Amino acid sequence: MSDPRQKRPLGLTALRRRLGKVQLPVALGMTLVWMLLFKGFQPRWESLGLLVLGFLVSVLIMLLFPLPPITPGLRFRPLHMIRLAAYVFREMALASIQVTIMTFRPEPVRNSMVAVPMRTESDLMMVFTAIATSIIPGTVIAEAERTERILYVHVLGADTEEAMEEGRRGVRKLEEGFVMALGTREDIAALRAGGVEKLGRGEKT
Amino acid sequence: MSEALITVLDWVAILCIFAGAALSLVAGAGLLRFPDLLSRMHTAAKPQVLGLLLVLVGIGIRLIPVETDVFSVGTLFLVGFFQMLTIPVAGHIVTRVAYRTERIDSGTMVRDEMAEHIEARRAADKNR
Repeated sequence: MSDPRQKRPLGLTALRRRLGKVQLPVALGMTLVWMLLFKGFQPRWESLGLLVLGFLVSVLIMLLFPLPPITPGLRFRPLHMIRLAAYVFREMALASIQVTIMTFRPEPVRNSMVAVPMRTESDLMMVFTAIATSIIPGTVIAEAERTERILYVHVLGADTEEAMEEGRRGVRKLEEGFVMALGTREDIAALRAGGVEKLGRGEKT
Repeated sequence: MSEALITVLDWVAILCIFAGAALSLVAGAGLLRFPDLLSRMHTAAKPQVLGLLLVLVGIGIRLIPVETDVFSVGTLFLVGFFQMLTIPVAGHIVTRVAYRTERIDSGTMVRDEMAEHIEARRAADKNR
C-alpha cells in the first residue's frame, strides 16, 4: 500500500480514480435512506426528482469520503434471513423477561466474561454477530479480537460453567444464522468444518 | 376502514406502546439496582432496544388508519434501524474503555476469560 499523501494525482485523473471507488450498492442504500427521509415513496412527480437528487448526493458523499470496498460482500438468502430474524426477535423477547427478573431479584447479580471463538474468517460476519449479540439482552460485546477471531462477551447472570456455556452457544447460533443467511460459500464451508474450539477453557496461550 | 378494526388496531397499538414503556422502566430500574458498570451497560442498552421497537410498532399501527403516506412509517423504520445499528457500538465503546482503564469491579465477576487470556499472552511474551 502506498501512502496516498505522497503522490496525489491532480484534476481529471484524480476524479476518475475517485469515481471508480463509488460502490453502487452502497450508493443505492443511501438513496433509499434519502427517499425514506424525504417522503419519497408517494406516487407524485417530485418523487422522481428526489430519487435522482438522492442518488447524486450519495455519489457525491462517496466521492468526498471514499471507503474501501466490503470484501467479499454478501450473498443474500431470504429463507435463512427470515429464520434468523425470527430467532433474533424471539431471543430478544425471552431475554428481556430474564433480564427483568434478574433486575428485581434481591440478591446481587453475578456475571462472567466469556470468550467465543469465531468459526469463519470473514470480518463482516464477525461484525454482524457482534451487533446481534449486543442487541439481545443479557449479552454485550466487550472486545473483538480481530487477529485471533475471538469475541469477548459479557454475560449477565452467568455464575456457573453451564450458564457460560449457554451464553457461548447463543453467540455461536447467531454466527451460524448470519453465515447461513448472508455468508459466502467459503464462510459456510468454514462454519461446517469448524466445530472446533480455537480457545479451550482459557488456558491456551 | 371499518370502525371495529380501527378499535382493535388502537388497542394493539396501546399494548405495544405500554409494553415498550414498561421495558424502558425496567431499564431505568436496572441502572439503579445493578452494582457495577458492566452489568449496568446491559440495562442501559438492551431492554430499551426492544422497548423502543415496540413503541415504534405501536406508533406505526396507530398511524396506518389515520394517514396513508409512507413517510411516517418510513421514518419510524429508519429510527429503529439506526438505533439497532448504533446502540451496540456505544455499549461496546463504554465497556472497552472501562476495561482498558481497569474500572471493572471484579467482585461481581465469576469468571473472566478475557483477563485470563490477556494474562496468558503476557506470560508467553515474557518467556520468549
